[in-house]
Amino acid sequence: MHPAIFVGGFVFLGALFGLQNWITEHTWGYKVNLALLLRAWTVQYFIWGVMCWLVWFWLGRAIQDAGVKWMLTRLIPLSAIVSLGEEMIWALCFPHMPAGMHLTYWQRMLFELDGEIIDNFLIFWLVIFLFRGVDYYQRYREKEGAAAQLSVQLAQAQIRALRMQLNPHFLFNTMNSISSMMRINVPAADLMLEQLSSLLRITLERGETQLISLSDEMEFMEMYLALQDRRFSGRVRQEVHVDPALHDALVPAMLFQPLVENAYSHGLSRLDRDGVLTLEVGRERGRLKVVIANSGIGLNPARRKDGQGTGVGIANVKNRLRLHYGAQQSFSMYEAGANKVQVTITFPLQFSANPTPTLTGYGA
Amino acid sequence: MINAVIADDEVLARHKLRQLLREETEFEIVGESATAAETIDLVRLTKPDLLFLDIRMPGMDGFDIVGALSADPDFVLPRIIFTTAYDRYAIRAFEIHAVDYLLKPFTAERLRSAVERAREQIQTSAQTPSANGSADAADSPYTKRIVFKSRGRILFLHVSDIRWIGAEENYVRISTESESHLLRETMTRLEEKLDPQMFLRVHRSSIVNLQYVKEVRTEKDGEFAVLLANGQKIAMSRSYRSRIQGWLQR
Repeated sequence: MHPAIFVGGFVFLGALFGLQNWITEHTWGYKVNLALLLRAWTVQYFIWGVMCWLVWFWLGRAIQDAGVKWMLTRLIPLSAIVSLGEEMIWALCFPHMPAGMHLTYWQRMLFELDGEIIDNFLIFWLVIFLFRGVDYYQRYREKEGAAAQLSVQLAQAQIRALRMQLNPHFLFNTMNSISSMMRINVPAADLMLEQLSSLLRITLERGETQLISLSDEMEFMEMYLALQDRRFSGRVRQEVHVDPALHDALVPAMLFQPLVENAYSHGLSRLDRDGVLTLEVGRERGRLKVVIANSGIGLNPARRKDGQGTGVGIANVKNRLRLHYGAQQSFSMYEAGANKVQVTITFPLQFSANPTPTLTGYGA
Repeated sequence: MINAVIADDEVLARHKLRQLLREETEFEIVGESATAAETIDLVRLTKPDLLFLDIRMPGMDGFDIVGALSADPDFVLPRIIFTTAYDRYAIRAFEIHAVDYLLKPFTAERLRSAVERAREQIQTSAQTPSANGSADAADSPYTKRIVFKSRGRILFLHVSDIRWIGAEENYVRISTESESHLLRETMTRLEEKLDPQMFLRVHRSSIVNLQYVKEVRTEKDGEFAVLLANGQKIAMSRSYRSRIQGWLQR
C-alpha cells in the first residue's frame, strides 16, 4: 500500500478522535481549543501511522508468515518499544502539554505514557492483526483466481476431447463409403477420396482452434455436403443459406457437421427420393441462429429404431455449446411439421478481431 | 505432339500419372526421374514441352530444379505442372508461371484439365514463338489468373473462366461454370485487377464477364437486369446501365 494512503488513514482517524473529544468536552460544558485538540490528536496518529508503516515495510512479510512463538518473542518487545517511542516523540512535539503544569520532558512523557499505555498496546496489536487479515484476504483471492483458471482449462480440455471424438467417427464412415464405391465406380471413389483429402487437409490446418469464422466452417460444410451428396447420389436436395454479413462471425469449429450427419443417418437415409436438407445461418436479435432441418420419418420413429436415439453427436454438440457459452446458448430439436425434424441453435454473435486473410495471388 | 517428363520420387505416384496420361492423345511420356539430379539431366537431354514435378524430392526441391534449369539462358524451360501433397508452395509455383498445381491425391478429371491448359499454352507459344511464359503477361497490366485456396484445393483460376462476381460484405463470391468460391477481397480491388475489356461492373455489388452476357433486360418494375448465357439473372443499377448499353452497341 502507498505510504501516503496508509499514514493518511491514521491521520484521518486521529482527526475523528479529536473531534469526538472536543464534542464530549463541549457537551459537558468545558471550553477547549478545537484547533489545539485536533493538532494533538492528528499528530499522535500521524506518528502512529509512520511507525506502523515502517513496521509494515520492514516486517510486513514476516508478520504475515509468523508463528505464535515468533509473535510472542519478537512482537511483545516490539510493541513495548513502539508504544514508548510514540509517546517520546509526541512529548517532544507538544512541550506545553499538559497545560498549566511546569514539568520536565521525562515527567511529561511518563504522564502521557501512564494515561495511554493500554491504548498504545491496543493500537499496535490491532494493526498487527490488520496486516494478517490483509494477507488472508489476498491469499483467498489468489486461490479463487487459480480455481477459476483451472475450471477454464478443464472446460478447454473437455472441448478438445469432444472435438477429437468427431473426426474418427466421420473419417471411418467416409472411408467405408469409398471402400464400397471402389468396387462399383472407380472415378466416383477417386473423387470421394480427393474430397476426403481436402477435408482432412483443412481440418489439420485448423489444428485445435476452437472458434473459427463462419466462412471457414461453411467451407468445410460445403465439402462435407458434397461428399454426402455423392454418397446419397441425388436422393437429397441440399439447401444452404448463409447471411453474407456473418461470414466473419465466430462459431465453434465442426459444430454443424454432427448435426448434418445426424439428419442424414436418422432421417434422410430412410427416404429413397425427394429428401430435403436445409442449413440456414442468420442473425436474430443480436444472436447467431443456426437452423438445420431434414425431411424423413420424424423424431419418434427414428428414436425407436435406433434404441438410444440421438447418440454421441448431438450430446457432443450440446456439451460444446454449454462449455463455450454457458447459459448464453440454446439448443432445441423438434418436429417442425409432418416428418420434418429441425434443430435450432442460438448463441451470442461475436466477430473475429483479425480475420485471417485468404491465400490469394494475382498474375499471369 | 506433347513430350512430357514425370519427376516424382515415389514409384506409385509416377505409376498413377503414367496410367492416367495414357488416355491423352498426341501425348508421349519421354522419361521418368526419381531424384533432383536425374530430373535436371533428363530435362536437359530430352527438352520436353511439359514437366510433372513433385516438390519434395531427395536432394533438391522442385523449385531448386527449376532454378538450376533456368540458369542456362539458352535453355527453353518446359511448362510445369506441380504435383504435391503440400499446399504451402502454391504462391511460389504461381509466381514462376506454373501451368497448374495439383494437390495429391487428385482425380483423373483434375489432371485432364491441367493437361488441357498446358496444351493450350504450348500451342499458343508455338504460334507466336517470342511469347514464352512471362513475356506476354508483362504486356498487360491486368491479371490473367488468380491463385487461391478453396475447399482444400489450390486453384489457378483463369479469369476468362469467371462468369460473374458478387460482393458479400468483406468477401467476394467468384462464380465459374460449376462452382463458386468465397474470397476475402474487396470489389474495388478486384475490379482494378480485371481487364475492363472483359469485365464490367453492373452494380455496386456485382461484376459480370461480358463473354457470358446474353442480354440486358428491362424488368416489369422498370429495373434492369443482366441475363447470362446460363440463364442466371443479375440485378443492374441505373447508373451502370449506360456502360453496358455502350458495350452492347459496339
